[in-house]
Amino acid sequence: MTPPNATPSAPRAAAHPVTAAAIGLLVAAAICGTLIVPIYARITPKIGDFPFFYFYLLAYMPFVAIALWLASLLQRRLAPPADVGDTSVSGGDAEATR
Amino acid sequence: MSNVNTVTFTIVLVLFVIVTVVGFLAARWRRPEVMAHLNEWGLAGRGFGTFITWFLLGGDLYTAYTFIAVPALVFGSGSIGFFAVSYTILAYPIAFIFLPRLWSVCRVHGYVTPGDFIRGRYGSRGLALAMAFTGILALMPYIALQLVGIQAVLTVMGVGASSANTYVRDVPLFVAFLVLAIFTYISGLRAPAAIAFIKDTLIYVFVIVAIFYIPTRLGGWGHIFGAAQTHFASINPATKKPIGTFIPTAKSTGSTQFDFAALALGSAMALFVYPHIITGALAAKRRRIITRNMSLLPAYAVLLGLIALFGYMAVADPVTAANVKKAGNAQLAVPYLFQHMFPSWFTGIAFAGIIIGALVPAAIMAIAAANLFTRNIFKEFFKPDASPALETRMSQWASLVVKFGALVFAIELPHTFSINLQLLGGVWILQIFPMLISGLYTRWFHRWALLTGWLAGMIYGTLAAYNVKNATTSHWAASSDIVFGHTIYIGITAIIINTVLAVVLTPILRAARVPEGIDETLPHQYTADPEQAPAPAPAGIGVSRDR
Repeated sequence: MTPPNATPSAPRAAAHPVTAAAIGLLVAAAICGTLIVPIYARITPKIGDFPFFYFYLLAYMPFVAIALWLASLLQRRLAPPADVGDTSVSGGDAEATR
Repeated sequence: MSNVNTVTFTIVLVLFVIVTVVGFLAARWRRPEVMAHLNEWGLAGRGFGTFITWFLLGGDLYTAYTFIAVPALVFGSGSIGFFAVSYTILAYPIAFIFLPRLWSVCRVHGYVTPGDFIRGRYGSRGLALAMAFTGILALMPYIALQLVGIQAVLTVMGVGASSANTYVRDVPLFVAFLVLAIFTYISGLRAPAAIAFIKDTLIYVFVIVAIFYIPTRLGGWGHIFGAAQTHFASINPATKKPIGTFIPTAKSTGSTQFDFAALALGSAMALFVYPHIITGALAAKRRRIITRNMSLLPAYAVLLGLIALFGYMAVADPVTAANVKKAGNAQLAVPYLFQHMFPSWFTGIAFAGIIIGALVPAAIMAIAAANLFTRNIFKEFFKPDASPALETRMSQWASLVVKFGALVFAIELPHTFSINLQLLGGVWILQIFPMLISGLYTRWFHRWALLTGWLAGMIYGTLAAYNVKNATTSHWAASSDIVFGHTIYIGITAIIINTVLAVVLTPILRAARVPEGIDETLPHQYTADPEQAPAPAPAGIGVSRDR
């Protein structure tokens, strides 16, 4: 029987703490910016004809897209994931070129 | 068949025929040596690159819910409807965290459904059955909602026999659905993936044109927002309260900021747990295609924000508002708006876009529900030695059954009812979130603790939703309820009960030495990125790469 141990997170995250933290920060910012409604539930200031609430919701999407795009780029800086059956980190040199 | 605009009708018909042909031809696209395998029929060979995955997931995410139900809610209640915009923003960062892990482990083990993963991770048929049951249950009303969307367009087009018998009146809907059912049966996931291209092109065109053109007809955005603000502040004579809200309020009950956030978070967590979205993601060829798509898909979310604003345009246009009020069905807001604002040929393009936009996700949902049934119920409990060919045949038939079940659903139930059932679908599907997501990270939870939590969440969520009433309906009136003096989405309350139970029961069950079940997955498999699809490999792997 398998002991109820926690699945260790990818070993590659531990090797690059700054990159991993940056990814976490970007994802957290993307989530909090829309989840904390009081920061944008207002009519003023109006941007053009758009009340602030509606402008913010529309403008925040490109921000999330950019944040997640940066995060996926940063993930590539972490060592490429190991292939099946290969627990070492050096498994996928071939795909690192893409 | 009176009052049918010939130009509009012809354009819709022509586009529908094109889509039908593409749907049937899709079976030949990236043709495998053997189609009779669930990896082929149900996941299209698991070989989709970034580009196709984007269209497929986009086709999955933006449905009749987006085009019909969200603007209808905005039209009826104001700003609370914009939670849908907030939720699509939230969904991507949340999925960015866990979806790659799910893809990897499913790829390594050849899992076709989320139920397969639960079965392998916890060694529990019961937990996998709970997952499959919930998935199918939650998808039924979601498919029904697609039909209600198609119905809304057909109603405004004036198509349909003028008969009191619902089944006669809905003949065009039957025809559209029969065609969908047959090409899904034949082409599997390849059909909606191919049609998604056409769908998205049509939708991008009509949304962008509408967003620039309609405000010029209605006196600009300033006038649209002004009209909405005035309208929602006015008092409803029946309830003596404002009709809606223009900005979510800071109060504790009603259309509050807190409930806005709860609805957005709950829906976002539910989104990527829905079996049809997982099906779309598992069809991707490589792990990084998932992460890359999470940053590309918000381009669709911008569209959703703009589509939600159609609800305010319908409020600001007196003719549309009067038409909708006369019909007594807020879901007709967008079709009536387009019909009044656009020349008939362009209305045809927009209507075809909405109809096709409902058919694509309906097909993927039916495939996902069918796979769940075949893998986690039929094979698990009735025919453990089923061959891949038999599994595929079973799924094909199950997809037909699911679709016709949803059809009856859509026709028999009142429309407002089905919209609320879709929200109830969200309440249900959220209850598998703890077992699925925690399973991707840890084996700490005991399988029976998760099952008990799931059961409690399902029962609480269903009862709480059933008991919500408003001035006009005594049951299923909304998906938010008042708990401890605050309005909150029922799905969130239920998932909290679910998780707390699972956390409390786990140490107790472990202390009582209740068997844990065997975990067939290994830690490194959650970050693996195997190039080869699980056997049998589709024809031409490594040769035909799209990039």
